Amino acid sequence: MKRPFCLPPALLLPLALALACERGRKDDDPTTEAEVCEAPSAPPRQLRLLTRREYNRTVEDLFGGGSGASCDDDADCDITTESCSGGACLADPCTLHTFVFDPNGASVGRVHVAGTFNGWPGTEAAGGWPMEYIASLDLWVTKRALDEGQHQYKFVVDESTWMHDTANGVTVDDGYGGYNSVLNLECGEAEQVAADFPSETRPKGFGYDNHAASAIVSSTHVEMYLRAAEELSERALRDLPSVLPCDPDELGEEACLSALIEEFGRRAWRRPLTAAQAERLLTRALAEDSFDDGVAVVIQALLTSPYFLYRSELGQGVGAGAYVLTDHELAAALSYTLWGTTPDEALLDAADAGELHTADEREAAARRLLADPRARAHLQDFAVMWLEIQSNETASKASWVEDDFPALREDMEAEVRAFFEHVVFDGAGTVDSLLTSRTTYVDADLAELYGLTGVTGQSLEEVTLPEGQRGGVLGLGAVLAATSHSDSSSPILRGLFVRERLLCQPLGTPPADVPAIPEIASDATTRERFEQHTADPVCASCHQYIDPVGFGFEAYDAVGRYREQEGGKPVDASGDMVDVELMGAGTHAPFFTLGELGEILAESDAAELCFSRNVWRFTMGFEEESGDLCAIEALTAQGDDVQDLLIELVTSPEFVQREQR
Amino acid sequence: MTSPFVKHLHSLRRHGLRRSRGLTRRALLQGAAASALAIPAFGLLRPEARAASGLAERIIFFYFPDGVPGPSQDGEASLWHASGSESSFTLGEALKGLEPWRDRCLFFNGLSLGATDTGSHPGGAKKLLTATDYGNNESIDQHLSRTVGADAWWRHLSLGVMAKADNASGDKLISYVGPGSPLSPEDNPSTAFGLLFGDGGSSTDDGGEPDATALRRASVLDANLEDLEELRAQLDGAERAKLDLHVEAVREVEQRVLGTSGGGGGTGSCEVPALSDSFTSEELYDPARFPDLLKTQIDLMVLSMACGLTRVGTLQCSHHTSELLMSRFPGTEMYDPSYDMRSHQASHYGSKHDWDKREFKAFVQQRQYWVDQFAYLLERLDAMPEGDGTMLDNSLVVLCTEVCDGNTHLHDNMPFVVAGGGGGAINNGRLLQYGYERHGKLFVSLARAMGEDLWSFGDSASGDLYGVLR
Repeated sequence: MKRPFCLPPALLLPLALALACERGRKDDDPTTEAEVCEAPSAPPRQLRLLTRREYNRTVEDLFGGGSGASCDDDADCDITTESCSGGACLADPCTLHTFVFDPNGASVGRVHVAGTFNGWPGTEAAGGWPMEYIASLDLWVTKRALDEGQHQYKFVVDESTWMHDTANGVTVDDGYGGYNSVLNLECGEAEQVAADFPSETRPKGFGYDNHAASAIVSSTHVEMYLRAAEELSERALRDLPSVLPCDPDELGEEACLSALIEEFGRRAWRRPLTAAQAERLLTRALAEDSFDDGVAVVIQALLTSPYFLYRSELGQGVGAGAYVLTDHELAAALSYTLWGTTPDEALLDAADAGELHTADEREAAARRLLADPRARAHLQDFAVMWLEIQSNETASKASWVEDDFPALREDMEAEVRAFFEHVVFDGAGTVDSLLTSRTTYVDADLAELYGLTGVTGQSLEEVTLPEGQRGGVLGLGAVLAATSHSDSSSPILRGLFVRERLLCQPLGTPPADVPAIPEIASDATTRERFEQHTADPVCASCHQYIDPVGFGFEAYDAVGRYREQEGGKPVDASGDMVDVELMGAGTHAPFFTLGELGEILAESDAAELCFSRNVWRFTMGFEEESGDLCAIEALTAQGDDVQDLLIELVTSPEFVQREQR
Repeated sequence: MTSPFVKHLHSLRRHGLRRSRGLTRRALLQGAAASALAIPAFGLLRPEARAASGLAERIIFFYFPDGVPGPSQDGEASLWHASGSESSFTLGEALKGLEPWRDRCLFFNGLSLGATDTGSHPGGAKKLLTATDYGNNESIDQHLSRTVGADAWWRHLSLGVMAKADNASGDKLISYVGPGSPLSPEDNPSTAFGLLFGDGGSSTDDGGEPDATALRRASVLDANLEDLEELRAQLDGAERAKLDLHVEAVREVEQRVLGTSGGGGGTGSCEVPALSDSFTSEELYDPARFPDLLKTQIDLMVLSMACGLTRVGTLQCSHHTSELLMSRFPGTEMYDPSYDMRSHQASHYGSKHDWDKREFKAFVQQRQYWVDQFAYLLERLDAMPEGDGTMLDNSLVVLCTEVCDGNTHLHDNMPFVVAGGGGGAINNGRLLQYGYERHGKLFVSLARAMGEDLWSFGDSASGDLYGVLR
């Protein structure tokens, strides 16, 4: 987290902020008055432009997401590429491979898969992967997650007969006069259609990429949307059945185009098209030279329409300036809040049937969405923005601090994602444990950085951090690196991280006319350099809220490596979480490790409320005002479980109500 | 309910339009043989030369971060500002890179941003091109793109060099499409090149009519406009304003697609080579590659203007309070692999101009680097013949940063430089000195030099800046 203060944060920020506190304090300064809920208000009616993240996931679901056909189990889908999830056929991820053995009518008792990935076991008991018989297809099937790269395998029938996969033409000699089947699994990075779209902007401190009021469509956006839609329609034309609900030769071209507009249109626009909208699109499609061009123009027009690009939260007027979201707006609000992507068939059906308006109905839908892997991926994105670690992506570190930061920062982000997912979905689930959990995920490089032994591989492994050092989000390498400069830690950025990101207590900005900066001894430790500045009473007026907190991070260098010495001098990493609930209150909470700071924050009401405010912003796409605080405070009334907090939010009246602000 | 456009489409199709054999983006990006493409390949119409009417053809804003070595805390004279009389003056040490160009430039003393309430660097950056506190206005570049630039192929070209590093919120950008809404510049030269010279926009058949691809694009955009109009009718306030901008954006692309843009004044020597350099995604934010990136973006800016693709350009180098490690720029005086010197760190050089102090020396070197890059931009423009002179003669090129002195953060005496003859509108080669004038007036003058009848811009500037225009 880097702040646009006018002084170089490493050395000089204390003075500037102090002056801001002295001279710039306004009547509503948070150091003198807590923000409280005043007259409650409904969220604003908004059009919410899809972010690049949302656009990518959405088109992935619309095109690469499988047929979307309704199903009861996998057998109803294209079993080699799809699975049945939420009542619809969805495409399997690349690394999920489907093994299929065709008995050709022969009666066999059991079949398992043996190969390089499981050590060629001759029996299921020895670790063979059992296959399941699907009577309706007369096939034996199992779906397994595999690493990318080359694998060899055979099918073992009744634990006695070894056979290669006759449906797979790639084989090698097995050394016994037969063949092993060869699987080359190459997935690569999924292509991100929206990768080149202009990046989102937002007010300083908001934190999330979906700030609706800042999202303006420029001509560059329009060009990019057009090209993306062309690319996607070309992709669709190469595999027409994936989007086309009919055969134009059977149904007739016009009727089939109509069906495409109705069905694909409903998925793309997250609601049924009106008759007039469908009609004018059909006219346009029929004006094209060929059926394929007609399909292309329909897909392109749908995907570049404001009805696709903006998620509507305008609602329907219910009188007296009040609005409520429509059924289909609610379906989209639920899926984008919990999945970051477009509603699935089940949600659209629920919207069609008007079954999302009661809190109970939305709770049931939300629980289903939270149980899906898409919720995990989406909430990992929340964590990255909540902790403001994106700055690592464009940061450089001094070679004498870290010689391969580009590799390390990828590990660090992966750790943040795994840590957050574990706490929220598989661990204690609470905001407290986000701040304190000592269970995290490291590979060999991160383990070395953290001084842990026993992890040697390049994939993340779950570890329990030793007591008395790091814990919770405060100790994550990504957070420590993001709150540092290239060559030095920054107690200021770290103190501000706690104050602003974790406690929602923003500090003022410095005034323009900052006077001269005192000279500093060059061999001083980072802490000593800052202490020289903050010894000044003028500086201290603001820095009493920042530096004592940031000093407590001094045992970690510019990439989060543990240290006991800096430049040959012992590090003093004692800190004081002053005024944790409210700046100016005059409380002290000394601590000696980040684990202890995490405990202090976990016990505070301010950190809990601040987390709710962050979830609110991420969900609502606007910065909360005092009128919104009533609703936000109510979110954690039942405890601080993160999933419960999301359920409370989507079942609250504010999720549904809107007003013209 | 067939729209007029669809009917038009039918009629064009009946006349047997062929598919384009034209450019592909891939071919251009690979650009193995730097093929010289005639302007008509892009469907551009050569506009009436504006220079003939004594107006500026184009304007480029060149931004660099964190101010200059202005008057020090202890009262030493500025190492940036010129001193002397209007016609006989000496440039400051940090400006010496403009010595060869002094007759083509206007230098200023006494231009002020006025008070800014949001802190020195952030407040200055938001106010720099908007001339309004908190960036609560459109910026002058965006304004001009809507007015005098509106008939160009691209109304505005917004390029950055590491402008989005350490700037995830975009809060440190300088170009504003509307109050509080900054526009992200394109930091990747390849992406910008692909947009400008790729297969986007229009393609025409041999007769200069839109081809099938262009017609389908136009049909899609026409559908967008119908949907936008329908949705817009249900809205008011901010959401309606949002869609108004969206409509404008679609219309701009539609003009390009149908080839009805007037073009931005091509020079007739529109060479479209490959990009001069290419960059991996990691290199886009590697400070050691910054000089190459900046040069590539400058070349691209000049190239697109030489081809008449746009009239208004903004080039944002990094952003205020920059963490840019300028000590890693290879082959420069600043280069020091043993010490990390950031732009913002250097800007706080202390109370006096102390050449023995590492920060001060680095700060002056860094500012000289920016001035040299600005001079490179002028050199490139001056190398392109246009009319009876060069592109530089018909251009306005503005050098700017968000504070005056990097240490004192004052917003008076802002270090603007305006280069180029503006098609004859600008009386350059002079030092203009004011007691106190708001910088918004300079923008009024620049707009007038481009032919817009503008009389005020920003929150307290009315009238133009005396002495700028001939």
